[in-house]
Amino acid sequence: MTDGTWRLPPVPVLLVGVALIACAEVGGGSMAQFKLELARWARGIMLARPQVHGLVGVRDVDEQILDEALVKFDAGLRLFHLHAEGMGTIIIVTTMVASTLVPRPALRRAIVLLITLGGAVYPLGYLLWSGLIPFRGVAGGKTVAEWLVWIPFGGAAIVGMWLLTGAVAVRLIQSAAKRSQPAP
Amino acid sequence: MRRPPLVLVLVAVLMIALGETAGALMSPFRSATDRYARARVTANAVAHGLTGSAEYDDEVRSRAVFAAEAGVSFFHTHAEGLAPVILLAGTIVASVVPGGAVRGVLYALLTVGALFPLGYVAYAVATLETGREAGVAFAERYVLTPLGSAAILALLGLVVVLARTTRSSPSE
Repeated sequence: MTDGTWRLPPVPVLLVGVALIACAEVGGGSMAQFKLELARWARGIMLARPQVHGLVGVRDVDEQILDEALVKFDAGLRLFHLHAEGMGTIIIVTTMVASTLVPRPALRRAIVLLITLGGAVYPLGYLLWSGLIPFRGVAGGKTVAEWLVWIPFGGAAIVGMWLLTGAVAVRLIQSAAKRSQPAP
Repeated sequence: MRRPPLVLVLVAVLMIALGETAGALMSPFRSATDRYARARVTANAVAHGLTGSAEYDDEVRSRAVFAAEAGVSFFHTHAEGLAPVILLAGTIVASVVPGGAVRGVLYALLTVGALFPLGYVAYAVATLETGREAGVAFAERYVLTPLGSAAILALLGLVVVLARTTRSSPSE
C-alpha cells in the first residue's frame, strides 16, 4: 500500500514555515505578557480619534464602543496567533506533499510558491487588522486587511491547495489505472 | 520517512483545501448564511418548536443560527488541524509499523478519521433541518462519533504498536 518516501520541500520553504510558527508562539506569549499595555495603547489612540470610532462624549455610550473595539483588537491578535501556528504547519506538510507527489516541475513550483507565500502572509492580515483598529476603526481596518492581505494571499493559498488536491487526485487515478493494467 | 498511501494523502489534502475554503467564505457570506439559516428554521417551524410568538421565535432562530455558524467554524478549525495530524500519523505508520494487515487497518482508520471534520457540516445542516437538539444528537451519533472514534482508534493502535516496537528493540 505504500510506495516511496517523502521528499522535503526546499529549505527556504521550511524556514518560512518554522519562522511563522515561531512568530505565532512569540505573538501568543507577548499577547498575554503585554495585554494591559496593548489595551492601554489602543484605548489611547482611539480616544485621540473620536470621529473615527463614533465617540459622542457621553461616557456610558463611549465606554461601550471602546470596549467593543478593544475586544476586536484582542481578537485580531488571537486570530494571528492561531492562524500563524496553523498555517506554518500546513505550509510544511502540504509543500512536502507537493514536493513528493507533483511530478511536473512548473506545477510543483507554482503550488509550493502559492501555498508558501499565501500561507505565510495571510495570518499577518490579522495583525494588520488589529493594528489598524485604533486608527481606522473595526470596519475600516478590516477593509484594508481584506484587500491588502486576506483576499490576495488567502486566495493564493486556497488556489495552491486546490491545485495540490487536483494533482494528488490525478496521481491516484494514474496509479490505480496502472495497477489495473494486465502485466505484459 | 516513508509516505502513507495516496488515498490517505488525498483525503488529508482535500480536507485542508475544504477547511481553508470554508474559512475564507465564512466572513464574506455571513449575512447570506444568516438569511439562509433563518429561512430554513422558519421552513422547519415544527422541528424548531416555533410558537408564533415573535419574541420567543426570534430567540429560537438566533440559537439555531448560532449553532449552524458554529458548525461551519468548527469544520474550518478541525479540518485544518486534524488533516496534518493524520498525515503525520500516516507517515509514522508507513515508516515504523511492520506487517501489512496491521498497517492496512491503521491506514483505513486514519483515512476514515480524517473525514471527522465533515461531521460539523452535518451538525450545521442537521441543526437547521431537524431542530437544534435533534440535529446535534444526529450529527454526534451518526457522523462525529463514528468518524472521531476511527481517528482515536487509529492513534491508540499506533501507540500500542510503537510501544511494542520500542519494547522489542530497546537498544535502538
